[in-house]
Amino acid sequence: MKTDKPDHRDDALRNVLKEWHSDAALPPRFQENVWRCIQLAQAQTAPSLWAAVAHWIGTMLPRPAMASAYVAILLVVGATAGWTQAHHTNVRVANELGARYVQQLDPYQAVRP
Amino acid sequence: MRKGLLILVFGLMAAAAVYGCIYLTCTASARSMERSDKPELAWLKEEFNLSDAEFKRVSELHAAYLPQCAEMCKQIDAQNLRLKKLLAATNQVTPEIETAIVESSRLRGECQRQMLEHFYAVSRTMPPEQGRRYLAWVQDRTFLSDFAMQ
Repeated sequence: MKTDKPDHRDDALRNVLKEWHSDAALPPRFQENVWRCIQLAQAQTAPSLWAAVAHWIGTMLPRPAMASAYVAILLVVGATAGWTQAHHTNVRVANELGARYVQQLDPYQAVRP
Repeated sequence: MRKGLLILVFGLMAAAAVYGCIYLTCTASARSMERSDKPELAWLKEEFNLSDAEFKRVSELHAAYLPQCAEMCKQIDAQNLRLKKLLAATNQVTPEIETAIVESSRLRGECQRQMLEHFYAVSRTMPPEQGRRYLAWVQDRTFLSDFAMQ
């Protein structure tokens, strides 16, 4: 039965590597440079937020279910915002006009020119 | 990507359109009141559900009351000026100041009596329930607020 355990593969190469010795000195800050290269490579491969959004727009949003849900959510948000803002405006106008009505009738609250 | 962008923009435009439609529809009445000749009376009609006939009568009462109110304003301003001069001229309560304070109180009482008469007259032109609501509302904002403990 064939096994994929690494200990049973490339025995010849493993033996050669065990016997190999090098007297060459490592360059200065070798390990630090290696880690920097690794970090740089990882940073380049990690997707940015914009790339993720662009990917979502390009691949996910065109799906009918996703598009319908997206538009429906925005419609609900727009309707809610419109109704809330209108309610605030109506309350403000009613309070202002009510106050002006009272100012017309009450000399002690009237706005003098 | 192009299709996705179109959906994105369409969704935002649809949301903005719904926002505008609902806002304009729901504030149509308020904007109409603000544009009217007498916004305060238009508000009164709307707030207390007055019929056209009731509104006409209320408008007549309002127009008839305004000259009385203006006359009271004139007397109150004159009395305030008189009292201010008396107060500035001394550092104690003089008989003249006492008289001016009594006169100010009399003016205030007269002003409140006239206002109350007007409020009752207006409330009588309204349907009973709206009339009671109007009286409670207007009294609370006029002379009853003068006696409120802060």
